[in-house]
Amino acid sequence: MKNISKIKILMMSALMLLMGACDSWIDVNENPNNPQDAPIQGLLTNITFESTLNVYRAGSISSNYVQHLASPNPGSSSDIMEPLDYSGTWGSFYSVMSDITDLVRKSEDLGATHYAAAGQTLMALNLGMVVDMWGEVPYSEGFDFSTVTPAYDDDQALYTEVLSLLDQAIVNFGLTSTVTIGTDDFIYGGNIEKWVKFANSLKARYLLHTSGTQGYNPANVLAAAAAGMTNNLDDAKMNFFDQRFNPWAQVAINNENLLLGGWISTQFIEALDGTSYPTVDPRLQLMVGTTDAGEYIGVENGAGRGNAPEQGARSTLIPGQYYTSTLGPVLIMTYSELKFIEAEAAFSTDKPRAYAAYLEGIRAHMQMLSVPNDQVVAYLADPSVSMGVGALTINDVFKEKWIATFLHPETWNDARRFNYAYKDMTLPQNLNPDLNNQFIRRLPYPDSEVSRNGNNVPTVTLLDRIWWNQ
Amino acid sequence: MKKRITLMVTFFMFVLLSHPMIAQQNSVTGKVTTKEDGQPLPGVTVLVQNTTIGTVTDIDGKYSINVPSGRNVLLFSFIGFKEQAVEVNNRSVIDLGMEADIEQLSEVVVTAFGIEVEKKGLGYSVQKIGSEDIMRTKQPNLVNAMQGQIAGVQVTNSGGAPGQSARIIIRGVTSLNPGADNQPLFIVDGIQIDNSTVESPGTPRGLSNRVADLNPDDVESINVLKGAAATALYGVRAANGAVIITTKKGKAGSTSVNVSSSIGFEQINRYPEFQDQFGQGFSGVYDPSSFWPAWGAPISEVRQTVPDHKYQDNWRRAFETGSQINNNVNISGGNENATFFGSFGRLDHKGVIPFSDWNRTSAKVNGQVKVSNKFDFSSSLNYINSGGNRVPHDRFMERMVYWSETTDIRNYIKPDGTMVSVGGNTNPIYDAQFSTFEDNVNRILGNVTLNYKPADWINFTYRVGMDAYSDSRTEITPGPKGIDGEAPLSSTGFIREIRINSRDLTSTFIVSMQKRWNENWNTSLRFGNDIFERKFDRLSSLGENFVIPEFFNLNNTRQVFSDQGKSIRRLVGFYGDVTADYRGTVFLNITGRNDISSTLPTENNSFFYPSFNLSYLFSESFDLPAWMTFGKLRASYAEVGKDTDPHLLGATYLSPSIYPLNGQVGFTRNGRFGDPNLKPERTSSIEFGTQIGLFKNKIELDIAYYKNNTKDQIIPVPVSTTTGFSSYVTNAGEIQNEGVEFILKAMPIQRNDFSWTINFNLSYNNNTVKSIREGIDEIIVGSQFGYVGSTVTMKLVEGRPYGDIYGSSYQRYYQGGVPEGLTTLNRDQDLLIGTNGFPIRNGTQLILGNAIPKWIGGIRNDFNYKNWDLSVLIDGRTGVQQYNQFDNFLAAFGIAGYTANRNETRVFEGFLADGTANSQEVWLGQGVGPDNRNYGAGFYRNSYRGVSENFVQDASFLKLRNITLGYTLPPRILEGTFIKSLRASVAANNIILYTPWDGFDPESFSAGAGGNAIGFTGLGFPGVQSLFFTLNLGF
Repeated sequence: MKNISKIKILMMSALMLLMGACDSWIDVNENPNNPQDAPIQGLLTNITFESTLNVYRAGSISSNYVQHLASPNPGSSSDIMEPLDYSGTWGSFYSVMSDITDLVRKSEDLGATHYAAAGQTLMALNLGMVVDMWGEVPYSEGFDFSTVTPAYDDDQALYTEVLSLLDQAIVNFGLTSTVTIGTDDFIYGGNIEKWVKFANSLKARYLLHTSGTQGYNPANVLAAAAAGMTNNLDDAKMNFFDQRFNPWAQVAINNENLLLGGWISTQFIEALDGTSYPTVDPRLQLMVGTTDAGEYIGVENGAGRGNAPEQGARSTLIPGQYYTSTLGPVLIMTYSELKFIEAEAAFSTDKPRAYAAYLEGIRAHMQMLSVPNDQVVAYLADPSVSMGVGALTINDVFKEKWIATFLHPETWNDARRFNYAYKDMTLPQNLNPDLNNQFIRRLPYPDSEVSRNGNNVPTVTLLDRIWWNQ
Repeated sequence: MKKRITLMVTFFMFVLLSHPMIAQQNSVTGKVTTKEDGQPLPGVTVLVQNTTIGTVTDIDGKYSINVPSGRNVLLFSFIGFKEQAVEVNNRSVIDLGMEADIEQLSEVVVTAFGIEVEKKGLGYSVQKIGSEDIMRTKQPNLVNAMQGQIAGVQVTNSGGAPGQSARIIIRGVTSLNPGADNQPLFIVDGIQIDNSTVESPGTPRGLSNRVADLNPDDVESINVLKGAAATALYGVRAANGAVIITTKKGKAGSTSVNVSSSIGFEQINRYPEFQDQFGQGFSGVYDPSSFWPAWGAPISEVRQTVPDHKYQDNWRRAFETGSQINNNVNISGGNENATFFGSFGRLDHKGVIPFSDWNRTSAKVNGQVKVSNKFDFSSSLNYINSGGNRVPHDRFMERMVYWSETTDIRNYIKPDGTMVSVGGNTNPIYDAQFSTFEDNVNRILGNVTLNYKPADWINFTYRVGMDAYSDSRTEITPGPKGIDGEAPLSSTGFIREIRINSRDLTSTFIVSMQKRWNENWNTSLRFGNDIFERKFDRLSSLGENFVIPEFFNLNNTRQVFSDQGKSIRRLVGFYGDVTADYRGTVFLNITGRNDISSTLPTENNSFFYPSFNLSYLFSESFDLPAWMTFGKLRASYAEVGKDTDPHLLGATYLSPSIYPLNGQVGFTRNGRFGDPNLKPERTSSIEFGTQIGLFKNKIELDIAYYKNNTKDQIIPVPVSTTTGFSSYVTNAGEIQNEGVEFILKAMPIQRNDFSWTINFNLSYNNNTVKSIREGIDEIIVGSQFGYVGSTVTMKLVEGRPYGDIYGSSYQRYYQGGVPEGLTTLNRDQDLLIGTNGFPIRNGTQLILGNAIPKWIGGIRNDFNYKNWDLSVLIDGRTGVQQYNQFDNFLAAFGIAGYTANRNETRVFEGFLADGTANSQEVWLGQGVGPDNRNYGAGFYRNSYRGVSENFVQDASFLKLRNITLGYTLPPRILEGTFIKSLRASVAANNIILYTPWDGFDPESFSAGAGGNAIGFTGLGFPGVQSLFFTLNLGF
């Protein structure tokens, strides 16, 4: 009986103990996997990484529209400009912009003005790309969870915000920062001078987009460009990693493994192989692969590969070239692009400057691809390329910029401003009939927005233009 | 027999209590028989009134009991018979004939915390199945063994893979959360056990739900608590119902040994219809290197020039005959003071997809010891090892689709070990052999129960239990071997090591008191405390790019990524339960429970909820017609609160697994934001029911109506990513389940040498999404791929039931234009035909069907003739549609039987936009048709495969779930041998009797038991039928 009393006491006291200790015992809900706060360095690392990937993501959407690439399958939705759901890409942009919101806020609290400035620059980059693809998008009510259904802001007003962010960034880069950016910055490794040039170059890019609008002033573009990148070393880009290959390299590797992708459009091949233009461009062999027979043969957009097998009969991206080396960069903005911006902006006011910038843009891109010097010289000496100041047309600028911004989403902005008027560019086969024989002008809003924020999503068709493209 | 809610732990507890402790006593012996025919009655409880002294009668109905001086009344009780009180009056022999209690339904069921009660006193529905009903099904997975046998319980076998998970849902889906586990709580011998299904990363591989670890041979009975009233005492964890499993225990008497061995064979129970006329190639042209398996030339035509060209029948030859070998031995015995039970079981299961297998080894011991009249304890320990090689069934089936129909699929490996590839396609068998995924689970279930009964009106019970397992998983896909011209499975190869550790601890303390106030009133009070903790830790490392080919170790890879997920959940509950019964006619039960959960915000983490249930045996108070033997009405109202998963609150950051890169670790916002003011969910439930016994209970009928509303649902609401988050965990929405359940048990024939018993159940459930948080129009539960826009989506929309499948359809012709706000496809409406002569695709997603069956039911017929027994279980479901992804693929690749008409012309029935009937003849084939028109890729690829409507199909079925024929050797033949009993049986399972579905078994689905997207079959592991031979021996 003694034992039993002991057990009874033990049981009762155990119960009492548990009841008493309950409050602290139950308090175990703090997340053991995810911290409640993150350092600004870690945020910047991921922001630079994901912003670069966003350029790739946007480029992989637009490359078929601008006929750099073509699908091996007939009637593929991207080729024929059907509405596609880009919820994932949209989410990636908004995820980065949310992180940037946190980075800027935390940096301002810490007096880490350079971090704030880098954040503002990349916010301008991401927001600019989003507006260029979708037009009106949420921003002013976004990122801070003040509402679950953020309103859509006017796209012209968002352009004002993009430029304002860049101006703020340029100012902030000029201030002393309490925290120094270092290798946590995957783009410039903390080189503030280059960041400032990048911010100015972006300003030139976004100002140029407004070339077809009333408030456009080319002098502003030229002023921004003057403070921008001065050589290829200033390029905004991010090199990739052993653990994570360059996404275009991955496309090429996957294609080799029969996950088909990265097939080159006939339009691109013919622009460089002497068909559409008099010269053979030495860059062709450095940008795309050949068939097994050593020829350059593209796929017509929308037509598919026909009877060609999966491998060896068409030009595709192949691993190991400039755009497709595993550790190579994804380009965010290049010195070469800036020179073409300058060429276009100066075209009506200062044509010699425009011509010089045009040639420098070509040279810079060729140097980037490591085209042998004699071939650079030969190409630039060709009368169809160096036609002289007087003969230079805006079409020449657009054509060379279209090559120099291979796989880059900026090409689609140009194409729309240029009304897809590239020489020999034709509508894809099997074009989406809803487009009434016109080229696509924008992306549809993603399904995720329609489903989650439907009341705010504007009703648009693929022919509705972004504000700067009216 | 009067209603007594007593804490009767088990029969043998009475045996234990009978141990003589008092010196002065009178020994009484006797024999108990049935009054009706004088047969001896074993197992009758004999109690000395107002003491704890008792015994049970032996196999011959004999008993012996010591009656202490001062006591004079013996109570005889036995289920199904009227309780009798007999005065001893100094007699030493008391024989008794017991009178059958025809007014009582015989069943004793187990309710919350292992309380055994007679079903008649309950105000809610509980259904029980016994060991025989479980074992007969031959299902290695205990969840599957319940299939078709319990009203309101839907069990869905997610596929035919060895060890594959099965999903169980009681009375409908209760959560709007697409990721919620809507499955019930599982309790084994009073301890909660884990039934989660942790699927493989990447392609589905059909992993196990953890209840599959239990050896069905160890199970004595399963009781299913369906409604909130039944589970109120279990609180938050049982908001979806509870399955109470009681395992076998030792019995006092001579030691007995039982051995059972069975061997089974299985094969695919149903195939889609395939065409066997066209072979490899495209556009009707034969091409032996084509990617396309079946769009080529007629096989007979090609054979003229290519002699070995033939239809290979790959769909049958790729699969094998699976096997199951199951051996179990158990030993039990004991005396009045201690009993024991030990078992050992081993299952070896090989599946129909080559290289799929699963094994389970289980060892179990338990024992009960009576220390004194007032104190006893019991303990149980079960060790399980399970696991196997899980083939990537979705990928296997997908590759089956791509594999040339005219190339031998069995010729898959070259002498140098590399793969034979055709048209750039991976051979599925090669992939199954080398792309391995092995799991190895080591699990221990243990518990200790202490009982202390200081007086006969009060009892203390304390139970502590543990369920701990480690799950070690290794996934390997080899890279290239480095041989010229090889077709590797992966350009880099990878190895993934996953380690899961989970531990559940449960502590339960119960105080039970009872008092009989007078002849009319009897009450019992129970209160206690319940503590639960689950710790979970998962570590995963992925190594890619092997340096040395075929040396599979993380150290041998160039890139390694690791991630870790930990969680801890704690729960404390206090509860009370009062029952009052008036003359055994009216029973009232009130319970209350307060839970404190670690997963909710501190200010909202403590919550109380009550339940009330009432039952009234009207047959006790009215004179009913003679044929109506028993009648009861019952009603209950209950609320149950529910917490959520741990670590959901607030905003956090996470480091994507890609880091570190160049020594840097990046952080990003976690897309999930948890409402800091989260409240517990509330389920309120009402239930009405009646239980009727007719013709001396030869017919028993139980009808239940229920309505459950779950409010303030905690859901990760998908929100616009522009808010800065992608999901917002908050209280949002309400879901309602309303339904009716019928259970009918009939014994039409009960003769000495022949008996026939029918068990029938049928249930109807109607589910409605009552509301979703403002601003959210729909919640996407999941979607599944279909070619060119035939992808289907399962969405929740206010006012609609759970499980609606949305997808593309053919446009319909409506006179006067398409009606506004059309959300549901009307298949009967005429087609709108385009100017090209083909139906027009409508890309706007409409509701094409619903994946939750409206009606489910089963019927079991048991026949016994002399030593023969036959049991036939049929179950079915109706009012259910599913997306047939197989059919989508088979259509796209020209494999489906109906694509054999590809070279025919037809006129599509329907109307042109101008209202005239279509009369244009079109060709269904590829390329240039007989009318010289170019049809491109042909009807099936251009149109048919892109229309979801074609693939959302009626998935009703009627199945012969189990048929068993057994023969038990008459005991007289075994007399004089060491064998006590011998039974041989043969059983067949899962034979589809009827389904309108065109494809593999419609029951299989790709999401696995953990998912709710059950409307998608995916390319799941095909269902199988099986044949078993079993021998049971008793020593």
